[in-house]
Amino acid sequence: MDLLAQILINGILLGGLYAVMALGLALVWGVLNIVNLAHGAFIMLGAYVSWHLYTYAHIDPFLGLPITAVVMFCVGYALQRGILNLVVRAPMFNTLLITFGLEVVLTYLAQLAFSADFRTINPPYAGHSIFLGPVVVPMVRLMAFGVAIVLTVAMWLFLLHTRLGRAIRATAQNLVAARLYGVEPRHLYAMTFGIGIALAGAAGGLYGTVSQINPYIGATLTAKSFAISIIGGLDNPLGVIVGGLFLGIIESLTALYIGPTFADVASFGVLVLVLIVRPSGLLGKTA
Amino acid sequence: MKALRIILILAAVAILALVPWFGSDVLIQFGINALLLAVLAQGWNIIGGYTGYASFGNSVFYGLGSYGVAIAMVQWNLPFYFGLGFGVVLAVVFAILLGIPVLRLRGHYFAIATLALAQVMSAIVSNVALAGRNIGLVLPPLNNDPLFYELSLGLLVVATLTIYWLTRSRFGFGLIAIRENEEGAAVMGVNTTLYKTLAFALSGIFSALAGGIHAYWITFLDPESAFDISLNVKMIIMAVFGGPGTILGPIVGAFSLSAISEVLSSEVTSIAGLFFGVVVVAAVVLMPRGLADMLRRFRKTGWRYFSENIRAHRI
Repeated sequence: MDLLAQILINGILLGGLYAVMALGLALVWGVLNIVNLAHGAFIMLGAYVSWHLYTYAHIDPFLGLPITAVVMFCVGYALQRGILNLVVRAPMFNTLLITFGLEVVLTYLAQLAFSADFRTINPPYAGHSIFLGPVVVPMVRLMAFGVAIVLTVAMWLFLLHTRLGRAIRATAQNLVAARLYGVEPRHLYAMTFGIGIALAGAAGGLYGTVSQINPYIGATLTAKSFAISIIGGLDNPLGVIVGGLFLGIIESLTALYIGPTFADVASFGVLVLVLIVRPSGLLGKTA
Repeated sequence: MKALRIILILAAVAILALVPWFGSDVLIQFGINALLLAVLAQGWNIIGGYTGYASFGNSVFYGLGSYGVAIAMVQWNLPFYFGLGFGVVLAVVFAILLGIPVLRLRGHYFAIATLALAQVMSAIVSNVALAGRNIGLVLPPLNNDPLFYELSLGLLVVATLTIYWLTRSRFGFGLIAIRENEEGAAVMGVNTTLYKTLAFALSGIFSALAGGIHAYWITFLDPESAFDISLNVKMIIMAVFGGPGTILGPIVGAFSLSAISEVLSSEVTSIAGLFFGVVVVAAVVLMPRGLADMLRRFRKTGWRYFSENIRAHRI
């Protein structure tokens, strides 16, 4: 029973991180109708930015998250403005393919720049834990979970209550009408993509504190983010919390009862199953 | 004109077939790789180019074909050609069992579902005792590169003839109709589920055969290399760069990109990977309909061809 409680706690803590990973993907998909296959690669890049800040400038990984997010926002804005805006009205396959290409470019650039070695961000408090009866809660994972939830809720409030957030939602609903009300789509698309990539970068910074990073983690993280978006739906940012927790718990249970190598199989199994049963997503909008 | 074209193609095939007699070992080995990649690109062309279902999981078929040969030869001591057949059976069974549910998905959803399948296959196979778990299998060596070269060339010719047949058969027109408008095709009496599954299986057969030949040639395989996801990148890029939905486009794409990446990877290995990524991004922006379409129209429009493509899709 204690073991099960521990596994559930692990799954929930992992799930919070998954939620913020998927948040950027869901935003870009919902507004720009681009499924960003390079999303995981941006998470990877964010993790490396955080790692460099910590290793060379000694900035705490949690306090450094805003810097990581700003750097990644600039990367995302420039990419959307310079490249992706050129193909945004092309057929679905073209946008899928171009982000696929970006993923390849980012992965190999990271390999050239950072080498293929595994890296971890280990702040001095990395070994600390909190004991809740028999259950151990690692400090870093709890902090990552907290930041992830705060980011997701902040994103939700931002979309609901700010001028830019309203413009983004309006564009997602109807581009023509949004333009009539003075939305400049090139800038707005770039802002949206930039915010999505900033969220990916922040997620990467958090990921680096709880797990190992190398240039090849991107593809798996993209597929997980996609699965979470599908389960949670694109309409409401809080949906990704449901999707993230669901996936985190499923993976932890699979790792315990079937075997650690099957954790990824389980998450993709869930993805394929959900797609087959409800091709438009469990709580999501219809395609 | 038409007779001339046929003679040119026959001459090209004849010259390619003669390569083992005058080429160096390095050239033959490069040729085997390029020919097998061209087969994969043609296989993808059937489901992605003609049927319009962008599969990001054709590497699964390649891996199944590799393991078909390896299991038959190592575990059961059966001859190579039986192994190829076994690999094809595995691929067809997979295409039907998973194709029927997955092919119901459209667009992004189909692409991601196939990508997810490609990602789990190596994890699943590394737990199968018959397939040597994560250690892999070592095949009996056969030091006969010219044979592997001719086999690969023969396979490419068969794959290309199949695609030629698609462009003038009822089945092929059905697939094109599905690509253009699936509801419309269904209304016109095309059994879309059957056609899509057959196209998926056909695409899988060629990928599996390529995998089987490659496994016996390399004589070693493990889950990571057999179900290598980056193989999807290569086959899709080659098909799209050359011209998806054309008969010869994927071959042109495969040969030209293999040659460039061979030159680049002799400098730094990861440069070749980077190059593939840059080619995709540039190709999607500048020539989304591939090299074949560009060559056809470039004569008329000149450099405006590129700016018109951008103007058509930008916001």
